[in-house]
Amino acid sequence: MANHTQNPETTVHRHEEIQRKLALKEERKHHNVSFVMMILLTIVAFFAIWSDKISDSFAVLFILTLAVVQVFFQLYVWMHLSHKGHDFPIWGMASGILVAAITVASLMGLIWTS
Amino acid sequence: MNAGERLTDANFPAHPEKATLEGKNKFLGFWLFLGGETVLFATLFGTYLGLRNMHLDGPSGAELFSLPLVFLATMLLLTSSLTSVYAVLSLKQNKVRSLQGWFLVTLLLGLGFLGLEIYEFIHYVHEGHTFTSSAFGSAFYTLVGFHGAHVLFGILWITTLLARNWNRGITLSNAPKYYLFALYWHFVDVVWVFIFTVVYLMGKVG
Repeated sequence: MANHTQNPETTVHRHEEIQRKLALKEERKHHNVSFVMMILLTIVAFFAIWSDKISDSFAVLFILTLAVVQVFFQLYVWMHLSHKGHDFPIWGMASGILVAAITVASLMGLIWTS
Repeated sequence: MNAGERLTDANFPAHPEKATLEGKNKFLGFWLFLGGETVLFATLFGTYLGLRNMHLDGPSGAELFSLPLVFLATMLLLTSSLTSVYAVLSLKQNKVRSLQGWFLVTLLLGLGFLGLEIYEFIHYVHEGHTFTSSAFGSAFYTLVGFHGAHVLFGILWITTLLARNWNRGITLSNAPKYYLFALYWHFVDVVWVFIFTVVYLMGKVG
């Protein structure tokens, strides 16, 4: 252990370790930023309804948009979809969301027209 | 190397959750499951949106819902999502005690959320809003209750996962399991974002 600074192999290993630590530190920062953003989005959504100052139809559109933004943070930052090697999960979720949108639209349509 | 062997800092892989074929398969399979869950919840959301104003003689959503309670529940679940991502960061650094600590906090916050939901449902039943009182009632309890069941399932999942692996450290066999639980927990929070928006906030404006 005494001469580990001279050993080229351990130097490379230590270098990699520092890189990894830095990457994790960066990741933790992203998680914290995304947490603060989600809290803010939630507060804005609740306030938009609570305050009763925004017209109802606009408020509904507004809070739905906020929800979509918040879910984007969850999926990309917290569920790591932005990381490498997530092509399959992205396709899986995208097709899931597509079918989900069609399902919601057709169910509402079926109920309202019957 | 044996997949059940405790990993050391020296042999710790960059992605312990995907270092084995089994881990890779679990990862892909779980995302496929989440895509399916998205559609499943969409059927419940679509039904709820179609039926949400059909409350017959019972109270309407605008009369029932209490926003402060929903806000508190939202904060609990959102924070628990953050603590579970902290646990995944600990996983990547081979810090098993910190991973267990963050998952325990996640578990407690999840229990708090579930407690609030049970309190809320009991309150609603006293107000005459039950599963059979109207189409609104059925659609509401199916959607929100199904989400609550997901939270309950997550609580049971993380409890058994932690208990079974308490003294094992992080291994190639349990790393994917911890990782997938965190994904599941985030997904439960994703669904809740739409529930508080579509059910509670939109319910308030009619």
